[in-house]
Amino acid sequence: MRAGQALQAMIVLAPVVCAACDMNTPLYFPSPEPALEVSGMPDAKGNPSRGENGLSLQFRNPTAEEQKLLDQQAASLGFDVPWIQRDNVHIELIYTVTNNDDPMNPSTDGVPQFAIGIDGANEYTKYDENIVSMALQQGNNDPPTVIPLIPVTPQVIQPGQTITGTVREDDFAEAELDLYAIGEWMAPYAAVLINNSQVNPVGLEMVPPNAVIPALIEIDVNFTANRDMTVKYDVRVRDDHNQLLHLTTDTLFSPTPALFQPPAPAP
Amino acid sequence: MAALATSWLLSSAPGRAQVTSEPSAVVFPDPAKFARGLYTEGEVGAVAFFGHAGDVVSPGFAVGARLGYDLTRWAALQLHVLGSTHQITGDNALNGQLLQTYQAAVEGKLTYRFGQTSIFAEGGPGIERLSTNALYVLGVEPQYRVGVVLGGGAGFDYHSLSRHFSIGVRGDFKVMQQLTSSQELFASTYLRYTF
Repeated sequence: MRAGQALQAMIVLAPVVCAACDMNTPLYFPSPEPALEVSGMPDAKGNPSRGENGLSLQFRNPTAEEQKLLDQQAASLGFDVPWIQRDNVHIELIYTVTNNDDPMNPSTDGVPQFAIGIDGANEYTKYDENIVSMALQQGNNDPPTVIPLIPVTPQVIQPGQTITGTVREDDFAEAELDLYAIGEWMAPYAAVLINNSQVNPVGLEMVPPNAVIPALIEIDVNFTANRDMTVKYDVRVRDDHNQLLHLTTDTLFSPTPALFQPPAPAP
Repeated sequence: MAALATSWLLSSAPGRAQVTSEPSAVVFPDPAKFARGLYTEGEVGAVAFFGHAGDVVSPGFAVGARLGYDLTRWAALQLHVLGSTHQITGDNALNGQLLQTYQAAVEGKLTYRFGQTSIFAEGGPGIERLSTNALYVLGVEPQYRVGVVLGGGAGFDYHSLSRHFSIGVRGDFKVMQQLTSSQELFASTYLRYTF
């Protein structure tokens, strides 16, 4: 009788216990210290001041069983399957920009504004907008063209003001598809990066519909501003399959992604 | 004639009053009739943080449950699980992000009953787990997301007179010493079922 009562009690408690299971378990990774700060002074060529830093997400190596499954999946698909997949690792970036100008004595040289561009790497390819910009600039004197993996709309920020923003998971999902396409499937990078694949999937024709998209494992932030400003950010990661490195007994997954080099511009 | 004779006979019989004992006072409600033993409680309420965590975590909705056993009329032992959800607040980049806490504790409970109502005090040690490392990123807690909580509280219980059910309110105050050097206040209303 007592056992039956205990069973009844457990049935009553079960929904509560299930409700207490982790439903939203992101982990946050702060930006490197010191915070990224730019002076606002243009460089010798008159370009706005830029700064860059980033962080690498540390994942564990797959277990033997997981590697076996990856190999089986790759064999059935006919192309490589990444260990860190977009469907399993969801990334978001939350940034805070502060204009360090004195509100009592603001500079009157133009409108104070900033721009953020996010680059990164998956386990195959690393994308650096500065490298791409230099490649595009070769052989001409045009101002640099910067095409980040994820552009953040430039914003006006008043002296002393702080602005917080979020680069959402779907922005990262789009960037991860783009990087995979240009790194592994020879997609035309400018067309792919500029267009939203859900609106205009130009350049993605070569990517198989059943491709497994790798997630970013490195996030780099490029910060441009025309005033003395500071940006801090936190990278928020939802790790569905517990692939982030937690235990000291796990070994670090350390791929060596190749730096993306854009094709030389036509003469 | 016969009727006259009958009435004469009856009237001449000695009268005898029925002797009964004085009835005992009715006890109502009788707590002895309340179910006692194994019980469960479901509760909803709110959790608010104080101290370091209180600066960056807003009060949040909480749902919990208890499974206990009445050792005597006035003493019980119970297991308590509680989950609550909160929002990060304050002047930081994580403002607006969600944070959940999960707690489990072993508690002792002392009850003083007067009729249909009772008051009680309870308390004991437990563990708490945070769903994210947001407080670590904000510099509020060490890197670990699991810590010991210790505390207790008191409440008021009202029996429904349906033998098994009662309802009540309670408030608990706990110290999260290892996790955030913070405190939390938990207030809830509950429904109890005693088997």
